[in-house]
Amino acid sequence: MMLYCSTEFRTIKRLKHKSTCFNLQALFKGSPVNNPVLQLLDMRKLCGASGPPRFRLKMSDGQHSFSSFLLATQLHHLVEEDLLVPLCVCKLKKTTSSTLSDGRHVVVIVDMEVLQSAEETGEKIGNPVPFSLSDESVSSPQKVSSTASEPASSLPTEAPGPSYRNGSGRGKDFTGKAPMKAEPLMASPMKASPMMTSPMKASPMKVSPIKAEPLMASPMEAPSMMMSPMKASPTMASPMKASCSSPVSPAKVIPIAMLNPYQSKWTIRARVTNKSNIRNWNNSRGEGKLFSFEIVDESGEIRITAFNNEVDKFFPLVEQGKVYYISKASLKPANKQFMKLNNDYEMTLNSNSSIVPCEDSQGVPTMQCDFVPIKDLADRDNDAIVDVIGVCKSAEDVTRITTRANRDVSKRALSLMDMTGKEVSVTLWGEEAEKFDASGSPVVAIKKARLSDFRGKSLSASFSSTIMVNPDIPQAFCLRACFSPDLHGCLILSPVYMLTARSYFWSRQSVYHFFSTSLCTFYKDKGCLVWLVFLWYDQGGYALDSQSLTETGPATGSSAVNWKTFSEMKKDNLGHGEKADYFSCVATVVFIRKESCLYQACPSADCYKKVIDQNNGMYHCGKCNKEFPNFKYRLLLSANLADCWDNQWVTCFQETAEVLLGCSAAELGQLRDTDETAFDEVFQKANFSTHIFKNRVKLETYNDESRVKVTVLEILPVDHREYSRNLLSSISKLAR
Amino acid sequence: MASIVDVPKPRINCSMLSQHINRPVCFVGRVGQVHPNGKTFTVSDGEGNTATVELNEPLDTELSGIVEVLGVVSNKGCIMATMHNLLQENKAIPFDLELYNQALKVIHDFPQHYPFQMAASG
Repeated sequence: MMLYCSTEFRTIKRLKHKSTCFNLQALFKGSPVNNPVLQLLDMRKLCGASGPPRFRLKMSDGQHSFSSFLLATQLHHLVEEDLLVPLCVCKLKKTTSSTLSDGRHVVVIVDMEVLQSAEETGEKIGNPVPFSLSDESVSSPQKVSSTASEPASSLPTEAPGPSYRNGSGRGKDFTGKAPMKAEPLMASPMKASPMMTSPMKASPMKVSPIKAEPLMASPMEAPSMMMSPMKASPTMASPMKASCSSPVSPAKVIPIAMLNPYQSKWTIRARVTNKSNIRNWNNSRGEGKLFSFEIVDESGEIRITAFNNEVDKFFPLVEQGKVYYISKASLKPANKQFMKLNNDYEMTLNSNSSIVPCEDSQGVPTMQCDFVPIKDLADRDNDAIVDVIGVCKSAEDVTRITTRANRDVSKRALSLMDMTGKEVSVTLWGEEAEKFDASGSPVVAIKKARLSDFRGKSLSASFSSTIMVNPDIPQAFCLRACFSPDLHGCLILSPVYMLTARSYFWSRQSVYHFFSTSLCTFYKDKGCLVWLVFLWYDQGGYALDSQSLTETGPATGSSAVNWKTFSEMKKDNLGHGEKADYFSCVATVVFIRKESCLYQACPSADCYKKVIDQNNGMYHCGKCNKEFPNFKYRLLLSANLADCWDNQWVTCFQETAEVLLGCSAAELGQLRDTDETAFDEVFQKANFSTHIFKNRVKLETYNDESRVKVTVLEILPVDHREYSRNLLSSISKLAR
Repeated sequence: MASIVDVPKPRINCSMLSQHINRPVCFVGRVGQVHPNGKTFTVSDGEGNTATVELNEPLDTELSGIVEVLGVVSNKGCIMATMHNLLQENKAIPFDLELYNQALKVIHDFPQHYPFQMAASG
């Protein structure tokens, strides 16, 4: 057998000889073992009643074997890819150990690496004997194995054959000791329950001395024990004890993967990854409210839901991204139809539940995102749930729609673009839509967006999605840093990001080329939100910052801004086509016609028709065909606007005119009738003010006379910084 | 020489100081450190470079934020200030020194389009 020995085996040997306690022993006692190298002896699939199967492993360090290893679900691919087969040699990079309620120990393998395949290894190393934690307890599992009637009849791998492919000889000798059978299958609650009543009950006493050890007294640290022995001090248990509102045994922090409905005294320590808003329901059984959130630890994830009183109690407490100790909640099988999380259970908070913030979030993973390049979305199936990240190129305004359930919902579509140069529209709903701020073109990451084929391919951020604006993750920095030049997009924030960008995407030459040509290329598309910076390596190497060149107004988000001067408007024959043209300009009011700025309109809502004074105190509306005792004033302004190159008569209707004059139509009408000086002053004030005008232009023909008619659609204040940047970019463009 | 108020004062940044020695300039920058004697302080421009300003009289008020300095560049590259104005910063719209710096470079890059020298000296 030694002939087959490789370096890895020697590692095992060395480990054995070097340490006084064995790997396994250390593992179970919670002492730090650095990446133990173990051989997989057997593996079996535990089929729960619901959800995915779990894998239970029997590992050996050459001297001892132990069968209570549980493979974390994220490592299942190792099994599926046939990498993890009995006899292979693995390095356990991250494990969490925990004690079950009856005192048995389980090690959850959170991260591992297969060092040598089963074929290479070929044989079982050494002659490991089943490991037990103390001499007395050695006998107990074996006793149990003989007495426990085997309720696990649903286990297809019960017989040695199927699970143990590499030879019956070893298999026999392996199952002969039957340590596997001895242990109830803790990952599978359906089995665990009958077992509870079985002779297993007898064993806790024997194993209990281990629990008394200081290390195990605070299994709260169990997940991190392997990594940082420092944390294993018993004092670590105190923050929890101290801050717990309800008397919770501080002792039982277990991984999420180990949760099942048949345990009650547990505490988990996990990070909130996604918190929903409060939702109300109203059905035949009554009404109420609920919110849910998802938590993750090293072993897995689970969703937690709170109803009514618990909503009031916990909603303000739970914050996305924070780590909490959670205990005394109810577990029930998850409804997979509604939950995409990788857990067979979900949790419901009840009046006894306790959620306590955990100061020490070390070792608890943050949100895991698996970002799909936007380009690749085209190949994904409809209704797929994906994580995406991109720069928000534009955002539509919030609109309200009525759902089929007759509920009013706000929605807002964003356009996200990533390094692949493709854009995708993402719809946000409800509060997320209302509070989203697209200014500054943030990087937006969305976890669990739903892909649909609405309008080609688009994404929807449903209630289970998590939306992160400018998240503090490397991908976001990269995105900030990179936009490919052929997108007329833009570039780079600082030399630091620049380096990242370069190493990721461009060769050195293309970067230089990019920067030398970027000045010309990236202004091409005026509609594109262009920002950021570049480095003029060829001009002294100083950094030149610039931000958002276009899209000045907050409300202009959706459509590309078509900047024109009045001279360009005339030169380009805007409005001469079949359809009206739209353009924006920065211009100054030079004159407003005071005469006929107001007209008397029909007072009924939504009717703006001019009324005819009957001279008897009544006003007739031709559209409503009614007479009214009153009317409302409406504005119809004719103004002359000028920019540096030309001027133009434009028309402003009610809304824009009110913005321009800073005065409502009713107020102005009253002033005209009562105080002429004040009336004049309104116009004086408006004169020579400068704004951004968004206009519609169309050639119109009256009585054989064609005239270009410009109507102002929107008036926005000038953001001088933006405008300056815009001008600077135009200058640079002209200078080339 | 006429009073500095009456002569053209090109707007410059730190990198242009050496080309304007013994000439009146206008420098806009952010106040850095003020010397304890109150007679000199540092200003940084939109590129992050720092220049030193020397005053005839010690400061009588606190100085911070964006300042516009009118003065003559000394042989050592200091700005011997004749006058300085603190620009009141609007909280909502902070003064954008980087942007100012870009505009300033445009002025220097295209003197034919920005003939401030000639207009002022006329």
